[in-house]
Amino acid sequence: MPEVEVAGVGLHPFGRFPDASLKDLARVAVLRALADAGLGTKDVEAVYSANAMAGLLQGQEQIRGQSVLREVGIENAPVVNVENACASGSTALNQAVMAIRAGACETVLAVGFEKMFVADRDASLNALESAADLDVIAGLGLQFTAIYAMRLRRWLDAGLLEPHHLEDVSVKSHFNGSLNPYAQHQKVFTAAEIAASRPIAEPLTLLMCSSICDGAAAVVLRRGDGPARAAAVRPRVAVRGSVGASGHTPAADLPSTPTVCADRAYEEAGVGPADIDVVEVHDAMAPGEILYYEQLGFCAADEAGHLLDSGATSLRGRLPVNPSGGLSSRGHPIGATGLAQVAELTWQLRGEAGSRQVEEPRLALAQNSGGWLQGEPAACNVHILERIEPWS
Amino acid sequence: MELRAAIEVESTARRRRLDRAAGLLIGSGCPVCAATSWPPRAVCHRCGSPMDLERALPREGALLSFTKVWVPRPGLEAPYTLGQIEILDSIFFAHVRGLGAEARVPMTVALVVPGEEDEDEPVSFWFEPAAGAREDG
Repeated sequence: MPEVEVAGVGLHPFGRFPDASLKDLARVAVLRALADAGLGTKDVEAVYSANAMAGLLQGQEQIRGQSVLREVGIENAPVVNVENACASGSTALNQAVMAIRAGACETVLAVGFEKMFVADRDASLNALESAADLDVIAGLGLQFTAIYAMRLRRWLDAGLLEPHHLEDVSVKSHFNGSLNPYAQHQKVFTAAEIAASRPIAEPLTLLMCSSICDGAAAVVLRRGDGPARAAAVRPRVAVRGSVGASGHTPAADLPSTPTVCADRAYEEAGVGPADIDVVEVHDAMAPGEILYYEQLGFCAADEAGHLLDSGATSLRGRLPVNPSGGLSSRGHPIGATGLAQVAELTWQLRGEAGSRQVEEPRLALAQNSGGWLQGEPAACNVHILERIEPWS
Repeated sequence: MELRAAIEVESTARRRRLDRAAGLLIGSGCPVCAATSWPPRAVCHRCGSPMDLERALPREGALLSFTKVWVPRPGLEAPYTLGQIEILDSIFFAHVRGLGAEARVPMTVALVVPGEEDEDEPVSFWFEPAAGAREDG
């Protein structure tokens, strides 16, 4: 099976960009990723294009990828449009990995873009609500803030977490975001300010939650044993694990969907959770990060609060989690998020993350979830990346 | 029962989900592994067998978690409370009312179905703490 490398990554900053169209957002991310890879648009053999909401918010229900890619002159190459709610970006990446592993292509682009700021805020909320089985939940007023809130309350009531953990992890998220020039929210907040912000879905407050966001992210993958490129003078990053799954009806004896994906990804990569050096998790609400400590195998459920308290998951800790600021601070333009996680981890593995650089990581893990079915994510992907060259 | 038996079953739009007269939810039940699901589905998610589409669920279940939501949505004034309900092995979300300030989960809750004449109700059913359910954990 061919090796797969991350040849280039690029982002359009995340935030509110009223003058930027879907094409503008995607153009910036795609061209930055191609420039980062030392490649041109005509080198792209296939594209997996992720977007979740343009059908509802911009009316571009069909051929979203082909439409935005015209702007950068990508034609002829097959374009597959990927929609998997908040996991769309990582699903596109997973498909791109498989295209190279299958031997069908040498150079593949995965791009994700989303424009959630529109004139009618209810339209954005309705679009978010459609990340569930509407046949079942229509009319309930069930937003994903409520899903996270209910997951967290179970842990609080079981004595696995204290309320301060929700505030502390949000402080960490905002601090990391303040160091990220691509982040939507680049401001630090105290625990008291976070606790005092307005309630959204108890126990979550406004400053614990991701918000409506515009942005785009792109990742160029290439076959690892392909021809040498100019950009190969940099430390190379390989994809060691790429695993996706759909959610399931939860039961006490069944592992969570992120656990299922992570276990398979560890097996595929031939590593375990103790080998991972830096992590990006899908914290659509910052406190959700703590739940993933257990789901991804980094600790037992009753140790998750202690892991946070110990500082292990902060930028200078032994297992930094969400150095980008995560979804809550970096931002969560739905279709772009999974690829933005991989961009951040690629920068971290290369040593290019600036003031938020963690200490010489070799293995990185990205976990991206999308939608929900009865409490479990509807889609989930876990990717494991490795820096090939040793740190000197 | 052969899987093909699930091809020609009642359409999803015509399946009952609620027996208003009896005040019960109607789900599906698996004749092979006894799994249940609400709302009803044609094929069992546990063992892959065709399901019985008319399985009345017990009135009481467990409230696994809940949240008070402060963002209004069309037809719903904030705050309102949503909960994750488990009845037998069927798990779903629903509105919850009557929880005290010190409510803790898990808690036993009971289904409430309003009368058909109550046109102002935004939801067709909700759950409340069952008689005798402890709200202080």
